Amino acid sequence: MNCHYARSGLITLIIVLLAFPLAVLAQDKPSLMPPQDFIAFDTPNDDGKSISLIWKASESDREGVYYIIYAATSSKGPWKEQYRVLSTTRFKSDAPQYFGLSKDNEKWHFYEVTDINENPLSITTPTYFKLAVTDGTNTIAFPGIALSMPQGNWFDTSKINVLVFVIVFSFLVMYFISLARKNLNLFIRHIPGLDAIEETIGRATEMGRPILYLNGLLDMSSLSTIASTSILGKVARKVANYDSQIKVPCYDPIVMSVCQEVVKESYLEAGRPDAFKEDNIFFITNDQFAYAAAVDGIIVRHKPAANLYMGYYYAESLLIAETGAVSGAMQIAGTDSITQLPFFITTCDYTLMGEELYAASAYLSREPLQLGSLKGQDFGKGFIILMLVVGTIVSTIGYPFFVNLVRTF
Amino acid sequence: MTPEKNNKTIDTILLIIFVAFLLGINIFLFSGKYLHFDTQGVGIVVAAFLTLAMYSFLYKDNPLFKIAEHIFVGIGMGMGVVLTWLQVIKPLLYKPLIRHAIFDNTPGTPDYILIVPMILGIFMFARLYGKTSWLSRWSFAFIVGGGAGIGIPVIINSLILKQLEPSLQPIFVDWVVTWQSINILLILVGTISVLIYFFFSLPHKGTIGGISRIGIWFLMISFGATFGYTVMGRMSLIIQRIQFLLTDWLHIIK
Amino acid sequence: MIKRQIPLVIAFIVGVMFIIQFFVPHKVSQDALTYVNQWSIIIGGISILLGIYSLIHFHFISIRRGRPGWGFSVVLFGCFGLAVLVGFLPSIVLWFKPVQQGAEPGVWLGFIPLKPGVEEGSPLFWLFLNLISPFMATMFSLIGFFIASAAFRAFRARSIEATLLLIAAVIIMLGQIPLGQMIWQGIPDIMMDWILKVPNTAAKRAITFGITLGSIAFSLRIIFGIERAYLGGGKD
Repeated sequence: MNCHYARSGLITLIIVLLAFPLAVLAQDKPSLMPPQDFIAFDTPNDDGKSISLIWKASESDREGVYYIIYAATSSKGPWKEQYRVLSTTRFKSDAPQYFGLSKDNEKWHFYEVTDINENPLSITTPTYFKLAVTDGTNTIAFPGIALSMPQGNWFDTSKINVLVFVIVFSFLVMYFISLARKNLNLFIRHIPGLDAIEETIGRATEMGRPILYLNGLLDMSSLSTIASTSILGKVARKVANYDSQIKVPCYDPIVMSVCQEVVKESYLEAGRPDAFKEDNIFFITNDQFAYAAAVDGIIVRHKPAANLYMGYYYAESLLIAETGAVSGAMQIAGTDSITQLPFFITTCDYTLMGEELYAASAYLSREPLQLGSLKGQDFGKGFIILMLVVGTIVSTIGYPFFVNLVRTF
Repeated sequence: MTPEKNNKTIDTILLIIFVAFLLGINIFLFSGKYLHFDTQGVGIVVAAFLTLAMYSFLYKDNPLFKIAEHIFVGIGMGMGVVLTWLQVIKPLLYKPLIRHAIFDNTPGTPDYILIVPMILGIFMFARLYGKTSWLSRWSFAFIVGGGAGIGIPVIINSLILKQLEPSLQPIFVDWVVTWQSINILLILVGTISVLIYFFFSLPHKGTIGGISRIGIWFLMISFGATFGYTVMGRMSLIIQRIQFLLTDWLHIIK
Repeated sequence: MIKRQIPLVIAFIVGVMFIIQFFVPHKVSQDALTYVNQWSIIIGGISILLGIYSLIHFHFISIRRGRPGWGFSVVLFGCFGLAVLVGFLPSIVLWFKPVQQGAEPGVWLGFIPLKPGVEEGSPLFWLFLNLISPFMATMFSLIGFFIASAAFRAFRARSIEATLLLIAAVIIMLGQIPLGQMIWQGIPDIMMDWILKVPNTAAKRAITFGITLGSIAFSLRIIFGIERAYLGGGKD
């Protein structure tokens, strides 16, 4: 009897021991659950070429379980399998550019449909979708049809933070420009590189040698080139006053035309239109190194007393500036090309770094409106410093609010 | 003889020796079948000549460098013309618009909107005829206005926000100070001090002057890093050119 | 008015249009951007004629006036003409002697391949490979020599700033070569890494912020017509 109990007890123990892992395994693999809340809608923030499909993530999602998306151009079919999505992948949280950064997005699956049978989606008739889930042996369908039609959106909500920054900075700049209009006395610190321009031109005049002015290697749509042509206007005016000569070899024909116009106007403003020589502003070539070789040639042959390099440069910066330094010319550079700044700093007498290039024309013109924009720029920097300090403190405390605020997609 | 004349004589002698050396070497290379007298062989000789001519600039400006310089500007510009026609004007303007006006039997409809950039392009030539030069400003305004407009949101998006995101890291997690915390703090101090250096409406005096000076130190270390990084890259370029001369041209190294 | 105000209006409209365009994902807006980019390329393409005019004018005057070095202008003209001729030659020959569809265009005069453009094997490609390419590589490598002389000059400047620049440069240089590791493994692993990740990051970030703000302010000055020097002169 005892023996019987003992045996049955042992058998029970073995069964329990065997069943325990099975139960755990069974818990790991819940039976396949039907898909829930399957919805189709036009993808937000896009140009109208796709439809988004979303459905709730389920407890039965695991490796080996797939969602199957069927599509048709009519509610009556024919239905054709289009995509197979592994149930552990594709969540709304993968596409924050459409759905933001809500934690809830991790609970929803998401699939972006851009074509049906390799044809683009119709923008005049809806496309119909069905969803099923399968683990290879069982397949359960969502009991319903989802439909939608793509359409282009007129505002990209994921760029709202960019819009806020555009508005804040524009407001700051425009506000200080309007303040300057009311004749507010604006203090602007000395920028030695720009103060030296006058001295440079005087020196060139004394030596009877020309001044060389380069605009960088970008075209006229680049802000650094526009800034450079603007500085050229101010420099040319001083050159005209001193009755010196300025040579502007150009890399781009449109930049050359603008420079000719700018310098001509400066000579006119200085009351010396007769002294203007259009041939001094000429095009060389739009090949980077051929341009550098030709400019080097000009430096060693014409021996300009001063070289001014304003604008955006690439590797040729050192080829030109070092030749200029060896020639003994006084050199002033101004660039927003961060990678080339070290070479200008080691070869030039003065270097305008980064934003000083953009400030230069305002500084040289001394027009209150232009100076006002510099003040606005400073407040922009103050705003960034504030964001850096507050943002770092807030994220150190454990709130990623500011990090999310500046996130781009 | 004046020193200048003396120098000129030395330069002329050097030039003659150099050209004679080149001639001799190349005759030897071709006759010894190290180089074949075909487009490839001639190409290597031309490339070697140009390489040496460009390097001669390191000594001083000289006729060889001048020849090489003018060859490049000429060839580069000529290629620019061909490429502009083949890659820009022909596919973007001639085929979709002008060809229709010249040949009646061209299939498809002309893309009339292309008349706008064509006119803006032609306006730039108005500069060449004094009285109409103001028309060129329309083209300038289009290009410059476009550049300014496209720039504002793009740079806020790709420069300000993209740089701010990694700048807002927590200094320490769970109040544990690590080396990483110190580095994050240093980056923050560095960024702010450089930004303060760039303030235009604050004089570099007193506290602001002190912070600006720290900013300059950060800038200089960064520039030094870029400088050091670039040096090594450029040295490898010199080695490549020397390899070309010794291997492809002179066949000294196999 | 028409001479001064219309360009300012154009710059304003185009500028504002493209600020708005950034926020509009609609196809109309994307197409507008594509169009304007294409237009800029076309305008740039047409403008090359201005460049050629300037180049020819400059060198033609050099030759006519017999300026010193006018002979080099002749070399330049010759090379310019050669490149244009070589570039268009295959198309011109094929124009007169068209080959059948799908057939290889072959070789002209025994050594000139009739491949147009700069695709591999074309005559223009030969010019690129043997003239332009070695030239570019040589000019690029010249920077190696120049960088050494620039560094030497920086050495002579005795200030804290110049010293910091040099120390950082030397550490980064050593960090990239085996010698640096031989001296101390910490040069590449600790010192170089720290310089690149900490002070370098800080400075680059700040310069970028500054450039960005400067360019925004500058763009606004252009769009609102405050900055108008590019139109030739400031006032109306």
